[in-house]
Amino acid sequence: MRSLLIRIFASFWSIIVITIIAAAAIGFWYAERTREIMQNFEDSDAVLEASAALSEDGRDGLADWLRSLPGAAESLVFVVDDNGKDLLGRQLPSPVRFSMARASGRDRGRRPPKPDTRNIRPARPFTQLVGPDDRVYTIFVLPARSITTRWLVDRGRGGLVILALLVSAMVSYWLARTISRPVRRFRESANAIAGGNLDTRVAESVGKRRDEIGLLAQDFDRMADELQRAWLQQTELTRNVSHELRSPLARLRVALELARRKTGDLVELDKIDAETERLDELIGRILEYSRLDSDSHEVRSSIALDELLRSVVEDVRYEYGYQGAKASIELEADTECTIDGYPNALRSCVENVIRNAVQHSRDDGDVHVQLSLEDSQAVISVEDQGGGVREHELERIFEPFYRSTARQGEASRQTGGLGLAIASRATALNGGTIAASNAANGLCVEIRLPVAD
Amino acid sequence: MTDSKILIIDDDRELGEMLKEFLAPDHLELSARLSGEDGLQALQEESWDLLILDIMLPGMSGIDVLKEIRKSSDIPIIMLTARGDDVDRILGLEFGADDYLSKPFNPRELLARIKAIMRRSRPEEKHGTAIAVGSLELDVRSRRVNAGGESIRLTGTEFELLRCLAESPGKVVPKEQLTQQVLGRRHLPYDRSIDTHVSNVRGKLSSAGVDNPSIRSQRGVGYLLLVDE
Repeated sequence: MRSLLIRIFASFWSIIVITIIAAAAIGFWYAERTREIMQNFEDSDAVLEASAALSEDGRDGLADWLRSLPGAAESLVFVVDDNGKDLLGRQLPSPVRFSMARASGRDRGRRPPKPDTRNIRPARPFTQLVGPDDRVYTIFVLPARSITTRWLVDRGRGGLVILALLVSAMVSYWLARTISRPVRRFRESANAIAGGNLDTRVAESVGKRRDEIGLLAQDFDRMADELQRAWLQQTELTRNVSHELRSPLARLRVALELARRKTGDLVELDKIDAETERLDELIGRILEYSRLDSDSHEVRSSIALDELLRSVVEDVRYEYGYQGAKASIELEADTECTIDGYPNALRSCVENVIRNAVQHSRDDGDVHVQLSLEDSQAVISVEDQGGGVREHELERIFEPFYRSTARQGEASRQTGGLGLAIASRATALNGGTIAASNAANGLCVEIRLPVAD
Repeated sequence: MTDSKILIIDDDRELGEMLKEFLAPDHLELSARLSGEDGLQALQEESWDLLILDIMLPGMSGIDVLKEIRKSSDIPIIMLTARGDDVDRILGLEFGADDYLSKPFNPRELLARIKAIMRRSRPEEKHGTAIAVGSLELDVRSRRVNAGGESIRLTGTEFELLRCLAESPGKVVPKEQLTQQVLGRRHLPYDRSIDTHVSNVRGKLSSAGVDNPSIRSQRGVGYLLLVDE
């Protein structure tokens, strides 16, 4: 069906029409059959015989007559006395009972009883006979009942309700499925895209539908195409910007060396050199940060965290030993633990947190790095002796270029204010969380990562 | 002493000119080509002692140029990469570059690396001329490696690395020492150059069917050449 509108409209419309027609048809058929049977009964001499039997032998005669009726193939005859009992002591069908109850109510001047909850239509009495004892016998003739008619009639309109429920349930289920299934696909795809998998498309899984959902799938895919293109452009732009910024820097450094040769070593030239290097490092970090954004070109693999920590700590020790920093790094990583993730991103994350700690430690302060396992999570905590930050800044230090008021100065210039932001993104990319808290003498950064099964 | 001829393939004309001026006093004659295609042509027409290759080139990329050169030549190559771009750097070394420098580099650093590579590629005669380890034979003078009569092609850096390990088979050679001897510079943190070169040599040995000797790593320390007698 071409349009979802038509599909929904037609489904509801058809449920209602089918129910109405079915109800009318069954009602009509039943009424017609009742009328026909009563006519047949009237055409036979049965009533005369009954009347005769009653006047001759009273109640027992009538009962005998009733018993002598041919085994009802198409009709059932009930004779009910004014106590509301069948002469043969049979259980009365509910329409008959209801009819009797209503009649007796009327006799006593009461309002007819309310139809019971099952909404049963009272049976119409065929005729009434008055016996010699002045008692009134009411004769009912009902169509013989197949299982379905009994089921339908005994339940009155309830049967129809059930039928309607069944039909509508089937149609509604079909309708709901045709809508909910593609919606589920949309959700999966939207989540996949949000999770960084920009290759996800829906049109294929939704199929060749030409209704609104099919169109939506096409639009969704167009949106995903656009997103992907924008993302690629962004990446390309970052790459180009960094290249364009670096080319003049490269020339600057060569020019600087040439100048040094001509003028001899000047302190100013050293400063220019140092600043050039800083600028370059900053560009590198911006590039790194923007790369960690959503997609990593890295392959996921299993990473032994204890080994990673040992190697990063060794590198940072080496780097800062070489720069003459006095802070020492203690490492406690005896727990063996492996996670699934992106090795370079994770390495960069840990490295940035540890460097940050070393840079902010006071000269004699130690940096304490610890690896532990807590409820299937690997926890890497890095604690420095740098005095920490104010409570309200604990979350903000993970923002790019955020400068803590307590930590301003030389150190934050060195990181370019991106170290913790890079760590935060890299952690998120690896499915973990990062948080900072103030410890006894400094800041404690905790990285939590889900451990591989 | 004749000047050594160095080719730089980089689209930054000004940089090339300044580098030429910078390198001239050290008897290094630099010529520049601005694109990969021109560079490849220059390499075919003349002989060069060393190539400096930028990875970000317009048109044919530096990596493609590198692959093309390595099909036929073992000329020492220094790649220029963007800092922080580990992928490019590692790719460069994997495809047979001898060393890399991240741009913007300190020109003195470039000079030092050029000198280190040049010194190494000059034949040395003070050591013995041949080293035999397991099924390998290293001819130090001609810088050739033979395994069972078959010659294995290694770049200068790879040969030097294998030689360093082969000089003391069975003994762990620390990464610091390897970096110093093979690349002529001090080992820096975060530097995985030696590891990449080792994996290249391993790959070439194993594709030549050499399983004795084999290069083993000693985690966090260095590498050793293991020989089964």
